[in-house]
Amino acid sequence: MIGITETMPPAVRRVRAYFAPVNRGAEQPTIFDPAQQGMFALDAPPAPWIDLGWISGFARKSGTKFEPVRAGAPAIPQMQSRSAVDATVSLQFASWGKLQMALAAGTQQMNLLNTQTGVAAAGSGGTAIAAGALQSGSTANVLQLGVAATSFSVGETIVVDVDYTGQLGFVGSGVSGAYVKSALTDIDYIRRVSLNVGRVSAIANGALTLEQPLLAGTPTSAMKLSGVAGFCDREGSTFFQEWSALFVADGQQGERVLWHYPRLQTMASAAESSAASSGGLEVIRQGAAFRALSVTDPVDGESVVCFRSFVAC
Amino acid sequence: MQNAKDTFYELLQSRIAAANPERTIVLRGVTRPGILVEENELVSAVTMPDCFRLRWIDAIVDPANAMPVATLTCEVLYETAGTAGNAGMDRGRLLTEMDAELAAAVNACPQKTLKQNYAGLAAGGNMVAMNTNIWWSNVVLDPLVVKADRIARTAKVTVICCEEAGEL
Repeated sequence: MIGITETMPPAVRRVRAYFAPVNRGAEQPTIFDPAQQGMFALDAPPAPWIDLGWISGFARKSGTKFEPVRAGAPAIPQMQSRSAVDATVSLQFASWGKLQMALAAGTQQMNLLNTQTGVAAAGSGGTAIAAGALQSGSTANVLQLGVAATSFSVGETIVVDVDYTGQLGFVGSGVSGAYVKSALTDIDYIRRVSLNVGRVSAIANGALTLEQPLLAGTPTSAMKLSGVAGFCDREGSTFFQEWSALFVADGQQGERVLWHYPRLQTMASAAESSAASSGGLEVIRQGAAFRALSVTDPVDGESVVCFRSFVAC
Repeated sequence: MQNAKDTFYELLQSRIAAANPERTIVLRGVTRPGILVEENELVSAVTMPDCFRLRWIDAIVDPANAMPVATLTCEVLYETAGTAGNAGMDRGRLLTEMDAELAAAVNACPQKTLKQNYAGLAAGGNMVAMNTNIWWSNVVLDPLVVKADRIARTAKVTVICCEEAGEL
């Protein structure tokens, strides 16, 4: 029930977050249209939005400054202007997936590639086992590897991306995982920072089937596959992750509040908070804080940082 | 509030029946899903085992909204002696089954449904869909209680609704 005045305030249980990539090279965020898509099924967001799961502690803060323009004696406000626009969002992710970790870390989020035996130790993972080439017929869900598929196991995490061959600028397929300022020597660097990761759900006939499709879609012939032991982020470094964000809170009367931030960048390094759990244990939640960056609304050319919508079925 | 209570009971009954069609009771000669509302049945000194008994306790109405909001507390009581074939030694397993059935029924999404007015059924009419939803909390299970040869549990759910114009 949406009314002009007498509408009940939304009573919500929790907020759900969705991610979509920003094309960093083209400075093109993903735009969500609440008029067309506002009532999407929470478990099936419209492409290219990806479900980040439930979040807690969702808090947004406006830092926009309003200045009165005074005139007369004594000076009396005659009108107002905005002298600065600023908006921040903070939250805690309930899940510890690759995407959540990358966004919470704010900077390059490294895949810990499976290493060769006996290599020198490195904080973000030593020299990796040579990546495997993908064969024709691979899709976003099924990766054709041939006999090499036997070296992987169900439940294992893998990354699929191109070799590093001296590229400069934003790197990473599907989502930019890092910005290379000067040439590197590690052929696996892009697979180290790539968000194009998946988890193996089945292995048969030389093919790995993934639980979810790869972010970058069907892999190109230039992409290779590496096994991933885990993920790692670092305090420091220079890269800023940027993403298009959508937060959704369902009310109990069929109404929905949506907050869409076309461009969010981190404003805090990786941090966790502890919460009491059953049996005297503590759960560790990933905290994250972001600053909203501007986009131009083509409807009227205004520069804005956030769209809040209230829709109902 | 009566519509909210009836709607919650009907929804819970359908979910319990779907989760375990074998859980049935015979009440006043009729076989039905194993769930009842105590205040809607004849007063009895005998507690029926292996079924869920709803008991409405607290009710609070907050008028400080565009519509008054009623918050009702529903106790769900259940107990079992196990099966005779197992000499009652499966009573713990059966109570755990009931815990799981109730938790699944109450906590499943969506935890809201459109409020219905069932008053017309008594006169041979139909139920009438209302304009607002009811919604409810997750279920909270109280500690197990031993009652002679039975083990019992009480669970609590908070049910919330908007009071529409003209509602009881």
